[in-house]
Amino acid sequence: MNYAMALDYQNCINCKACEIACKEENGVQLGADKQRIWIGVVEGEVFGKPFTNFYPSQCNHCLDAPCVDVCPTNASHFSKGGIVKVDPHKCILCKGCMEACPYDARFVDDTMVAVDKCTFCDHRIEETGMTACQATCPTKVRMFGDLDDENSDLVKLLKARKFFFQKEKEKTLPKLFYLVPEDEAYAKQSISHSATIHTWESFKPLYDTVKARRSKQWKNA
Amino acid sequence: MEKCLICGLEINKIPLFKLLFNKTMFVAYILILAGFFGIYEVIGERYFSVVANAHASGIDPTNPALIEAMKNAVFGHVGEVTREVPWTLFIVNYMYMIYTGSGIIFLVALAELLNIKVIAKTAAAFMTLGLAFVFAGLFTIATDLNILNMLWMFKDPNFGAGMWLMLPLYSIYIPFVLFEIYLLITNKKELVKKVSFAILVLSIVVDIVEFYIQAKLFSMNTSRHLWTEFPILTLYFIISAFVASLGVMGIFSALIYRNLPNYHELIEVIRKALLFFISVLALYEIIAYLYVDKEWAFLMLFGPFKYAFFGGYILLTMTIPFLLIFKESKNTLTIIASVCVAIGAYVGRYLFVYGGNANPMTNRFGVGFEKYDIYDISNSYNYVAPHMGEILIVIGSFGIMIFIYKFLDEVFDVSKVREH
Repeated sequence: MNYAMALDYQNCINCKACEIACKEENGVQLGADKQRIWIGVVEGEVFGKPFTNFYPSQCNHCLDAPCVDVCPTNASHFSKGGIVKVDPHKCILCKGCMEACPYDARFVDDTMVAVDKCTFCDHRIEETGMTACQATCPTKVRMFGDLDDENSDLVKLLKARKFFFQKEKEKTLPKLFYLVPEDEAYAKQSISHSATIHTWESFKPLYDTVKARRSKQWKNA
Repeated sequence: MEKCLICGLEINKIPLFKLLFNKTMFVAYILILAGFFGIYEVIGERYFSVVANAHASGIDPTNPALIEAMKNAVFGHVGEVTREVPWTLFIVNYMYMIYTGSGIIFLVALAELLNIKVIAKTAAAFMTLGLAFVFAGLFTIATDLNILNMLWMFKDPNFGAGMWLMLPLYSIYIPFVLFEIYLLITNKKELVKKVSFAILVLSIVVDIVEFYIQAKLFSMNTSRHLWTEFPILTLYFIISAFVASLGVMGIFSALIYRNLPNYHELIEVIRKALLFFISVLALYEIIAYLYVDKEWAFLMLFGPFKYAFFGGYILLTMTIPFLLIFKESKNTLTIIASVCVAIGAYVGRYLFVYGGNANPMTNRFGVGFEKYDIYDISNSYNYVAPHMGEILIVIGSFGIMIFIYKFLDEVFDVSKVREH
């Protein structure tokens, strides 16, 4: 298993239902910057015509996660299916993982005095097959699934659509797949010039190589 | 003073009252007291602040503590650490103290290897000062971490993590430096003759390893380009540490050795070394900012950090000292330059740590209406001012440094000038 998520971000309406669902499902600490998932908002203009883009985001559960490498006590670790998690009982609050994360996906949970982050709702995925944020999204932005299962809805979607990643240049091999919008104008206004557009065929071999190396660290619990 | 001899060490039989209650110790106690207030504040905020999670709001919605926590979450400030700037003044002070202390120890070992006699004669005092700085740095970092879970450093170590490597590093480094000081003050001359050269060489190797691990700690944060794109970060840390260390050594010499017959000679050595290393550091900074990611470089050089960078760091660490010590002159000018360098180097560490966090990692709070409206968090750069608890702990760390040095000096007479 190799869990990942695709984001059809063109459909995002910034209702923040996913943020609420996440907080409620996982008992996330209350506070403006205490979020496991969020919607990034970017405003701009093209030839005087204003636009707003929404980028739903969270921990990218990178295959080559630097946050795991820097953790002195292995509190940050790969769990089953390559999910990057934090064991709060082992966290010494050095905050190295927060510095290492290219996505600002971690924060300190003051109720546990430890770093907290998205877990892909791993406590419920076996039962429901989806995360709370996916379940609640009214416009079906999110698609959670297993990259190793060629018949999964996620892989079928990735085979059908092109995608790109946030901050690919950091070489962490993230697993949040941003689907290239079908609307050309929206694609132009929302995809950075530096982003590389991938297809399933072009991306799969790279991920398989890194997974073979990194999956030795994946724990079963 | 009456002395007793243990393992070749002359130990002063100083009365406990005189050892612990004198003017210097009194200053140290005041500073340490401030530190304890800081620790009290930090512990209060870290472990006892009123916080709640989403489940609590469902389970017991009328709980007064929950109401307070929700009020804080919506209108106030929650928790000790902000996600945008996780490393703050704690790390700045840790860097300053540890690097300056290690720099002093490194420089003294180099000076001894190069047979600079005036430093060799005062080496024990300088090494003890360096060690006191290291302890002050460790005190700072200990207050920053969640000590309650520290056992996991032993139970489940991640050997490749720079942060974990600090544990074996200082477990070896501190006893090693203590042994070096022992060799400097012992009367077992035969032992010293046999091992001194090997220990000196080993000392330099250990110092380089230490700075390498410190650089690894920062460069593993691959997305913080100020830290990862500084060319040869280990070398930068060593050079900048030497500059700070020489500043501290200058001040220390003026305080302890101003009545020494060859005081001018000592200050002259410090002046020449300082002149050399601030020149190298200046050159290094110019080259480094050609390499560093422009997003970070622009924030530092032309953005919100420019006043601290040019007015604090460049002016105090390089420009003023360079002008003051360019030519051999009065000792006072070197001492003023040393004070400038010691302060400027602190600003340098401040800029390095805060600068690394300055460029936001996400657009989580947007650049649109959320930026101008309710949250008041988002900005084109990240900066979170240190809180009072941190500042007090930093003040306390200076007290720790003074206490350790004074204690060892009173007991072992480390500041006594010794012939080698």
